[in-house]
Amino acid sequence: MEELLQIAQKKGCKAEVFFSEGYSDIVSFEDSKLKNIDSKILSGISLRIIKDNKLGFAYTRNLLNKEELVNNALKSLKGGVDGFFEFPLTQNLKNLDTYSPDIEDISNNLLVEECKRLCDTILQKISCQINVTAQKTVNSLRLINTSGTELSVISSSYALTTELVYPYSSASLYRVIAGKSFIKAGDEYINFLTENYGHSLKEVKANSGRMKVIFLPETLYVLMWRLQTAASSNSLYQNISPLAGRIGEKVFDEKFTVFNDPLNDSIPGARAFDDEGVQCRQFPIVEKGIFRNFYYDLYFAERLKTDSTGNGFRASVSSKPSPALRHIYIVPGDKSFSDLIQSIDKGIIVGGALGAHSGNIPNGDFSIGISPAIYVENGNVVGHIKDAMAAGNIYETLTNIIDVENKTYISHGGNCPSILFNEVNVIIK
Amino acid sequence: MFYQLKQILSQTTAQYADIRYEILGETRIVFNGKELIHIGTNSSDGFVIRVLKNGGLSSIAFTKLKDASKALKTAEQNACLLSINSKKPVEFAKTEVYKDSFSPVLKEDPRNITIDEKLDLLRKYNDIPLSYEKVITTNIFYNEVIREKFFLNTEGTEIKEDLITTSIGGLITAKEGSLIQNIRVSGGGSTGFSILRNRESEFENRTKILLELLKAEQAKGGIYNVLINQDLAGVFTHEAFGHFSEADLIEDFPSMREKMQIGAVLGTEILNITDDPTIPGQLGFYKYDDEGVLARPVKLMKNGILSGRLHSRRTAAAFKENITGHCVAEDYRYAPIIRMGNIFIEPGDKKLDEMLDSLGNGLYLLDAKGGQTSGENFTFGAQYGYIIKDGKKAKMIRDINISGNLYQTLKNISAVGNDLVFCETGGCGKGQLNIRSCHGGPHILIKELVVGGV
Repeated sequence: MEELLQIAQKKGCKAEVFFSEGYSDIVSFEDSKLKNIDSKILSGISLRIIKDNKLGFAYTRNLLNKEELVNNALKSLKGGVDGFFEFPLTQNLKNLDTYSPDIEDISNNLLVEECKRLCDTILQKISCQINVTAQKTVNSLRLINTSGTELSVISSSYALTTELVYPYSSASLYRVIAGKSFIKAGDEYINFLTENYGHSLKEVKANSGRMKVIFLPETLYVLMWRLQTAASSNSLYQNISPLAGRIGEKVFDEKFTVFNDPLNDSIPGARAFDDEGVQCRQFPIVEKGIFRNFYYDLYFAERLKTDSTGNGFRASVSSKPSPALRHIYIVPGDKSFSDLIQSIDKGIIVGGALGAHSGNIPNGDFSIGISPAIYVENGNVVGHIKDAMAAGNIYETLTNIIDVENKTYISHGGNCPSILFNEVNVIIK
Repeated sequence: MFYQLKQILSQTTAQYADIRYEILGETRIVFNGKELIHIGTNSSDGFVIRVLKNGGLSSIAFTKLKDASKALKTAEQNACLLSINSKKPVEFAKTEVYKDSFSPVLKEDPRNITIDEKLDLLRKYNDIPLSYEKVITTNIFYNEVIREKFFLNTEGTEIKEDLITTSIGGLITAKEGSLIQNIRVSGGGSTGFSILRNRESEFENRTKILLELLKAEQAKGGIYNVLINQDLAGVFTHEAFGHFSEADLIEDFPSMREKMQIGAVLGTEILNITDDPTIPGQLGFYKYDDEGVLARPVKLMKNGILSGRLHSRRTAAAFKENITGHCVAEDYRYAPIIRMGNIFIEPGDKKLDEMLDSLGNGLYLLDAKGGQTSGENFTFGAQYGYIIKDGKKAKMIRDINISGNLYQTLKNISAVGNDLVFCETGGCGKGQLNIRSCHGGPHILIKELVVGGV
């Protein structure tokens, strides 16, 4: 890696080398039967260079020819992508506990046994189609640049997802357990799934209308996607953010607080620095309903004449960093999940969402198929509804919060509680 | 290359093993508004090994040749673990042994076009929407993906195949007051660079539709009879029906498998659906899939009756059905899974005017904006639409998502148009991406669809 920097420097460039290496094993059960065990051992390296305020980029998987990688980056300079920012000098970062050595002791056999145990335990309580996946991953990153930054991190993660599938549909109720190493799925986890699934198994009819709706931690990403888009410096720069000019303004319900929370190393994926070597820090995006901060990477920070917030992340080594909120934390409220359900006279739990990626995302609009739409009547889960959609706009929906659950769960949307909303438009066939 | 791959596989103790080595060349140019934000050509490579041992099938992806022995050993251990824990051993359907090298015929090989020329063309297209005052930004890209694949298995098959995909497309965004609207634009395919030339009118037309959307009404949620255009019909076929023709999705899904039995009456008599990766010139074209099986057309639905499905060698054996050659990977980071090639609703006999007449009152929806399916349920967005009154186009509508149940919807298709069109760009996600996923269809008329407005 150092050699790459030297070659780039000899050609008159400032440079940054990003190296990622890792392995993963994933075990999947379908309908309670072991279906697949797949492994990956992947590595890759990418190079950014800045010369005459122009930015070049190249990547490869096998660093067989260092000169070629530098030449590819030099060639890309010709296009004229602006690179007015400097690669940062970042030192003396807080040491985060991102790696548990126990991960190395998790055999695929253990993953198989845990999935099997879950299927057997659930089947003793309820008869249904169960899909389980368990995955362990170890990944190390290293970043060096010509400003003198030398950073590295090794991370471990274990994640298990159990889905209980509704008959004749792949709509499923699911929940994730995640940690830096193996965590045995406990009774609370299993009971959440079996009880809510069991009570909602019956197909029921209901009428369209505005009603109370719970988004689970697993489905809140539908709303958070719109918020993340609006709070991104990329949207701000492109003049498409409905939050432009609104820092300090109360935009959402005061029960709603969202943090960028990369330093929480009690959960997997914590980061002291982002993928371009900027220090990560905790800060609010929304605090008690008040919009507080946009998030930035180096590129958009320079464009907008401010500093990076440490949110420059890459989808893989083959992509350049761009602003991303990888560590969302929604501050929990004071009601238990069953309190939330009990306060619904007539309403729906969004167990899964279809089409979250379609619709006018910059505008904050969402229009999703609810799959499953778990129906609640007089404080009890009574069944599920087929062919239901929920539609709205986050600048209305997020102002109508009744309560926030008192506990958070890790899902692909971040570290979030369930949230109960009022007056969400639900269309039912 | 084959010599090296053979050396690796020669170490296997499994009854079957295959290896795929790929060199992936990517050229990407991206504009955000006037600003060029990315340009470059890169190459990366890697390997995928699959082993079938004692009835367990496992795969491993790796990027360094020095990891080959370790990778093979890991895959064999995983296969044994699968075999011990599975009641039913995995078998592979038989296929011919091929030794072949195949490169598609291209009208202008993109590798022979300079990156400057690609940049100039993209800039020219990008400038078209940006010349309109209300267009506030664009995100327009040029994407070129060249997969050079070397496949070898222990049965003796050795195939080298190149897949070359070029596309230009992206999103155009306009704003009026506080209303932001966007529209997708896309063009490309598997036939070389020339398909991307002379597309100015496409960018002009999309921009005009976008500006009209700023004046359009929001769709009102409700149940409507709808006429959907070719692109939406294609997405419907792909999302709602096509995925359940993929045998791996229903294999361990008892309730769906029960409904998706060959011979089941699923649709109206006018409905015929085929998947055919062998149609020359279409986006989804390939000769061999990523387990070395020759691709072939599959009639999936004949006069409303389920008549076939898409298979890998594993599922063809498990279902006791014919192999089809539909097991495809995104690239060297993934083992292949069952994918659609070119899936389409076969054209019927109705003209567009006749279909609008028979719709009477309802919605005419055009062009897909993302779609997703979950079992029987699907949801997808339409880019724009019109309220139809007495068979005539009235106001334009925006922010449209439709949702429905596969089986009900197949039975509610009341007319099929005569105007089949295939899409030019794809992007189906199923754990991995398939940029060559191609769908097509004519206009179709559907009764009683759920439309979610805002």
